[in-house]
Amino acid sequence: MEANADKAGQIETAGGEPPAVGRSDPPLYEVTLWPNLSLGRRGYRIVMGGAATMLSLPMIALAGSKVALGLLPFVLGALGALGWFLRRNARDLSLHERLRLWPDLMAVERHEPSGRVLRWQANPHWVRLKLHPDGRPQNYLTLKGGGREIELGAFLSPEEREDLAEQIEMAMARARGAVGER
Amino acid sequence: MADAAAHAHDDHHPGFFTRWFLSTNHKDIGVLYLITSAVLGLISVAFTMYMRLELMEPGVQYMLMEDGVTPNGHLWNVMITAHGILMMFFVVIPALFGGFGNYFMPLMIGAPDMAFPRMNNLSYWMYAAGSTLAVLSVVSPGGDQQLGSGVGWVLYAPLSTREAGYSMDLAIFAVHVSGASSILGAINMITTFLNMRAPGMTLHKTPLFAWSIFVTAFLILLSLPVLAGAITMLLTDRNFGTTFFDPAGGGDPVLYQHLLWFFGHPEVYMIIVPGFGIVSHVISTFSKKPVFGYLGMVYAMIGIGVLGFVVWAHHMYTVGMSHTQQAYFMLATMVIAVPTGIKIFSWIATMWGGSISFKTPMLWALGFIFLFTVGGVTGVVLSQAGVDRAYHDTYYVVAHFHYVMSLGAVFCIFAGVYYWIGKMTGRQYPETLGKIHFWMMFIGANLTFFPQHFLGRQGMPRRYIDYPEQFALWNQVSSYGAFLSGLSFLLFFYIVWVTVTKGEKITEKAYWGEHADTLEWTLPNPPPAHTFETLPTPDMWDKQPHH
Repeated sequence: MEANADKAGQIETAGGEPPAVGRSDPPLYEVTLWPNLSLGRRGYRIVMGGAATMLSLPMIALAGSKVALGLLPFVLGALGALGWFLRRNARDLSLHERLRLWPDLMAVERHEPSGRVLRWQANPHWVRLKLHPDGRPQNYLTLKGGGREIELGAFLSPEEREDLAEQIEMAMARARGAVGER
Repeated sequence: MADAAAHAHDDHHPGFFTRWFLSTNHKDIGVLYLITSAVLGLISVAFTMYMRLELMEPGVQYMLMEDGVTPNGHLWNVMITAHGILMMFFVVIPALFGGFGNYFMPLMIGAPDMAFPRMNNLSYWMYAAGSTLAVLSVVSPGGDQQLGSGVGWVLYAPLSTREAGYSMDLAIFAVHVSGASSILGAINMITTFLNMRAPGMTLHKTPLFAWSIFVTAFLILLSLPVLAGAITMLLTDRNFGTTFFDPAGGGDPVLYQHLLWFFGHPEVYMIIVPGFGIVSHVISTFSKKPVFGYLGMVYAMIGIGVLGFVVWAHHMYTVGMSHTQQAYFMLATMVIAVPTGIKIFSWIATMWGGSISFKTPMLWALGFIFLFTVGGVTGVVLSQAGVDRAYHDTYYVVAHFHYVMSLGAVFCIFAGVYYWIGKMTGRQYPETLGKIHFWMMFIGANLTFFPQHFLGRQGMPRRYIDYPEQFALWNQVSSYGAFLSGLSFLLFFYIVWVTVTKGEKITEKAYWGEHADTLEWTLPNPPPAHTFETLPTPDMWDKQPHH
């Protein structure tokens, strides 16, 4: 996390990035969140297959001629560019967040498209979950604890964030109850 | 970790230069495309006014050499070439695909922007560079020791490989650069459409305009590389001594025609398919009914797109193909009438029983259906190889393709402008002036092109500066029609100016009523710089009964 973010109204990070959580006991609650991606792997294969088939039409007709050699770089370039950009966009949208909750620990990992992993953790007893119904974006969801306030699922729809907030609240209540039973 | 910010995502207000020269915002880039194509359209229409002035009477009155007596055939050829290149590559597609596509496709699918905003900016500036090269080619040294190249927009070899001067090279580069721009734009549109639709918006629920842009993008992606390869070979034939299209070195000029039309016929659909999308929304909105046969409309567009790739040689029946080949291209061409008919009948069925409101956008849409049907019917006539022997390269062909493209597609552009200008500017156009514009253009365009069917049937060939006395009457009528259309185009610029400066402010988001139900109508007028940073929910867009 970048420190000195208070200029933008953020809360300054205390103590830098916490280390990865290496617990072996199963969490009470776990959720992975990712942005909407409307093209799946199967769709990608269909699109590329269709494009390759249509682009091969003139190449088949001209096979063996020197003109085919003149066309080939352009045809392959277009097909390659389509595939590369579709994959690049899917990678740009590969961001995901993972939240895990134990009775004494809440941990969030944010996996960015660049491969960077950002982490936050706090004791769930002190964590405050806040849903901002009038925020921009609507139903902006934040977790406050460990000296920082982080956003969660900013890429989800407002309804999804509302559902998520309910689930996390219930899980946190279970976690606090579990601590009380000890 | 992404820390919580105050999230005051207020619209930032970049300065003029940053906003319009460095923009990565899809709406601003859409506006840039529309303005640039309008300016180039004005130049291209000015060329046609000059041509129709010359054709108004037999003899050559205006396009003369410096001696004031000798007809300047080269200038005529330059005019038809420049008009064709500008219209085909730099006016209609950029307006419909680059302009409306950029502005409204991401909005309709609930995407915050295009998938690759910087590439979008690059596409626009490559288009601007290509346009500049195209205009420069008109005033650069060319053949016949004059300015400009006069080989026709199709750049057929050997005319294009032997035209002197560098005007021809500039024209080829112009098409190259605009082609690269279009391919990048197409990939951007395809990626955006496929990857960034709102949650729940499956392909069978995506609005028809977004579909039309997607189909067009695929047509561009699949056909433009072939054109790029073909014109690169033209360049090397011209400048590096290759003989791809020169029989003296074992090349084949007819092969260039095949390659050109493998691109050229899908080009027709690149021009018209986005128009199909606009017209579908306009007709549904002003008939106050959901569009009839949504799935049929979608698959008709896909069918037209696919069939468009296997009919190219109907443009070149006279080059010496075998009977079997001609029979195939005839039949394949006629098959296109089926999906096209599905669209026409679906639009009519959408209006059937509806409470139709004849606002200006609806008039343009109705005008489009009429004109496109006329152009489509003459297309079926021309698809017959035997009949085409008589009509090939006559004014009948000129009338046919202008009815389909010049009138059909341009009417779609105007339908789109009047439909969305309130959304884009926050101000509404003056209704009466809009209707006057429509009627001037509708009457003018029909006066221009309908008589050209008669001229074609009488045998008047296209691409000539002069004609015999027998063709005088209909040429005169055609020229009067062209002048009326030209005036209507000037009126259009005045209407846009009045709208932007004095138009009535509109605050209602869906100001055309509840049947304007795609996602752009959930936004203010004009939409803020950043839209749909929060994903839209299905209740905002899922209103069609077929879903």
